[in-house]
Amino acid sequence: MNDHFQEKFIEEAKELVSGLEEALLLLEDNPDDTKHIEEVFRVMHTLKGSGAMFGMNEISEFTHNLESLYVFVKEQQIPVTKQLLDLTLDSVDHIKVLLSQKIDKGTLSNGLELSGKILQHIKNAGIEVLQDSESSDILPDKVREQDKIIDQQKSVATFYILFKPGKEILRDGTNPLYLLDELSTMGSTYIFRHSDNVPTFRKIDPALCYTFWEILMATGNVIDDIHDVFLFVEDVSTIEILKIADCNILDNSDFIRKAESLFVEGEAMSKAILKNISEELIVLPGKLQSKPVDKAVIPVSETGKKDNHKKENITIKQQPEAYENRGISSIRVSSDKIDNLMNNISELVIVQARLSLLADKMNQPDLSQISESVEKLSRQLRDNVFNISLVPVKNLVARYKRLVRDLSKELGKEIDFFTEGTETALDKNIIESLTDPLLHIFRNSIDHGIEDIETREKIGKPEKGKITLKAYYSGSEVHIAVEDDGGGIDINKIKEKAVNKGIIKAGASPGEKEILNLIFLPGFSTASKVTGVSGRGVGMDVVMRKIKDIRGNVEIDTEVGKGTTITIKLPLTLSIIDGLLVSVADSLYVLPISVVDKIFPVKHKELQDSFNNIIVLDGGQILFIYLRSEFVIGGEAPVYEQVVVVRHGEQKVGLVVDAVIREYQAVLKPVGSHYKDQDFFSGATILGDGSIALILDTNRIVSKFTNDNQ
Amino acid sequence: MDEKQKANQNSYLTFRLGKELFAADVRYVLHILPVPEITEVPNSTDYMKGVINHGGKVLPVVDTRVKFNMPQVEKTKNTCIIVVEINSNNDTINVGAVVDSVHDVLEISDEQIQPQPGIGSKYQSEFIDGMIKEKDEFIILLNMNKVFSAEEVDTIVKTPETGNQKPETKNQES
Repeated sequence: MNDHFQEKFIEEAKELVSGLEEALLLLEDNPDDTKHIEEVFRVMHTLKGSGAMFGMNEISEFTHNLESLYVFVKEQQIPVTKQLLDLTLDSVDHIKVLLSQKIDKGTLSNGLELSGKILQHIKNAGIEVLQDSESSDILPDKVREQDKIIDQQKSVATFYILFKPGKEILRDGTNPLYLLDELSTMGSTYIFRHSDNVPTFRKIDPALCYTFWEILMATGNVIDDIHDVFLFVEDVSTIEILKIADCNILDNSDFIRKAESLFVEGEAMSKAILKNISEELIVLPGKLQSKPVDKAVIPVSETGKKDNHKKENITIKQQPEAYENRGISSIRVSSDKIDNLMNNISELVIVQARLSLLADKMNQPDLSQISESVEKLSRQLRDNVFNISLVPVKNLVARYKRLVRDLSKELGKEIDFFTEGTETALDKNIIESLTDPLLHIFRNSIDHGIEDIETREKIGKPEKGKITLKAYYSGSEVHIAVEDDGGGIDINKIKEKAVNKGIIKAGASPGEKEILNLIFLPGFSTASKVTGVSGRGVGMDVVMRKIKDIRGNVEIDTEVGKGTTITIKLPLTLSIIDGLLVSVADSLYVLPISVVDKIFPVKHKELQDSFNNIIVLDGGQILFIYLRSEFVIGGEAPVYEQVVVVRHGEQKVGLVVDAVIREYQAVLKPVGSHYKDQDFFSGATILGDGSIALILDTNRIVSKFTNDNQ
Repeated sequence: MDEKQKANQNSYLTFRLGKELFAADVRYVLHILPVPEITEVPNSTDYMKGVINHGGKVLPVVDTRVKFNMPQVEKTKNTCIIVVEINSNNDTINVGAVVDSVHDVLEISDEQIQPQPGIGSKYQSEFIDGMIKEKDEFIILLNMNKVFSAEEVDTIVKTPETGNQKPETKNQES
């Protein structure tokens, strides 16, 4: 049971850590952006909180140090320097190790060393660390000191907190005592326990929580911080937080005595009375006008809402919402279930196609209306299910950004990292299996691809190298390309090596592509020197194997002196596309609507008379591809043909078809490996009447056409 | 029939192309279908006839006559598609094969299968698992994995270089 929750936490924490990494790298680019500092701080805080909640104390403790450091950064007492970021990134690595749960002595001492460094960093910034007599058992002394500093920097106030956990809270793996512990770390507390609801031993259900607490706490934190402690339980619990004094009233023994007298087992104290007592006791010069009681009570839970619905809600509400946007509230579903759902939807889409076909035939307005609604719904359903299983490539980016940063530093190179199209989404499983192959590719680019600074200067390239990670859809594939502006791969060198190794015969003259593909053979490396990073001949073969495992392919384009692009081509496993149904002669084809720009009717004669397959449309010259001849389909062309202008990278190209029929939601089906060598189609789809239409891969059609006609 | 004999026995589906009778191990055969509308795939190799909708899946269909280097014929009421499941490149794939007619299912024991004669046979030996003699007629037992593989094999008939006369002529006279 516990393991299950820890697993959940680790999964979540991993996401948090990668978010943290991303935020740190962004911070590095814009050190003054307080937004990023806030983000870093927020993630650390969540990590610390949930770490403690799930009993991952090492993580919680360690992150706590970091968080303390960032409190000062946030308050601009410590500047954002490279040193600071290096330290933080090292710490992030340490957290990752902790999360991997492969903790040995090394990691622990590493952790201590890092914690030392962090505290040193705070000290170096000239912030005095105060001694604190009371130290908690959970946290190392030094950390407590940090807490104290934080506390003292803010004005201390006393809060009344009612924490009435939902009965079922234990079932979620939450231990309310941890929350009380966390509260105690924020300041001095006085806790009243209401346990008279606990039934007799016979009737007790150990999985239910019968107890609730009232806490009086003096702390330098603001009300939001207290709410953060309950962040994960506020949906199921009653939480009321009320500021009762603007100073530490707990030091006043009169107050405690009076509070104790108010305490009635099983009933919450009257906040109004409590507040009155505190006000009576505090004699402040120019007494601060404290807020009326009812306004300051912030209802969070269902039960809380009944109490009052005043405007003050807003102040706190912002916080949980921010968290919600981060997608923290999530459920995990086995991928099998999603696959089943996808299959069902594919079938639904096909059935829906039949329905609309029938509706067209019957020509009954009622039926057409229903059919249209079904179409709309199935489209929405499809999109939603897609969204469930797709994650953007963005999730991968942070770790490569980090890799580029660290490795280039290590190798004494300067490299800028750019990304394009990171919103391109892929199946989560595919994203995961991409991690290692991409890592290899990046390493190769950084190590062998990009030249060192001197060499770059000598050949007149900008000092800084450039690596770009691009992701984009191409027909039914997703391409992920890693592009560098380095030295490129010398084909002759590979050939030489291959001849030496006896892989190709000395006299043979294989094509360029063939030679390049030799790189994917096991044990083939062209790096003249072996570095710690790469060049040991393992790598590209592993890359190829792993990508093949997920039915993808790897391609290399390179130019000596200019750079190398390695493209991973992956099939879209989830594959319903919005298409445009067109016809050429008797055959129907589907074009992905995402690439379609405009459609023009053009006279056949005009196309026939055109020179070099160029026509003028919309005032611009457009290259057109005449599909009828491209597909070797005979027959008479209609008088008017349709030129479907599609985007091909930056370029626009017209595809000439006989007729454009309508929009069509196409369930993309593979055509099988017997057609793996053909260049025009990414798959096929089954139409409403059961016949098949091929789905055109416009990118490949255009590339092939331009290559053939050069 | 005692147990030992039974163990050696397999079922084979026989089908006809032109005058010749071929056999396929039934373990590869999934369905036998009437020929539906076939959607042609432009610019594909000659022996690929196109794709069909087979139970909601897109099934590639091989024109077996082209593979066996036989002339095209008009579709008859006996023409059908055998859907086979084969292993190609460590992948299990389904493919349809258009044949002139299906014939029979025969129980044949391993002893009855003879090796293909090296000389005088017009098919490349790797595609043939052996010959079966059944009632004065020789049935050619096909290696389904090889014949219907997704690898591009234009024809399984021996080319003149491999020391055989052009099979087309032979086919017509038989």
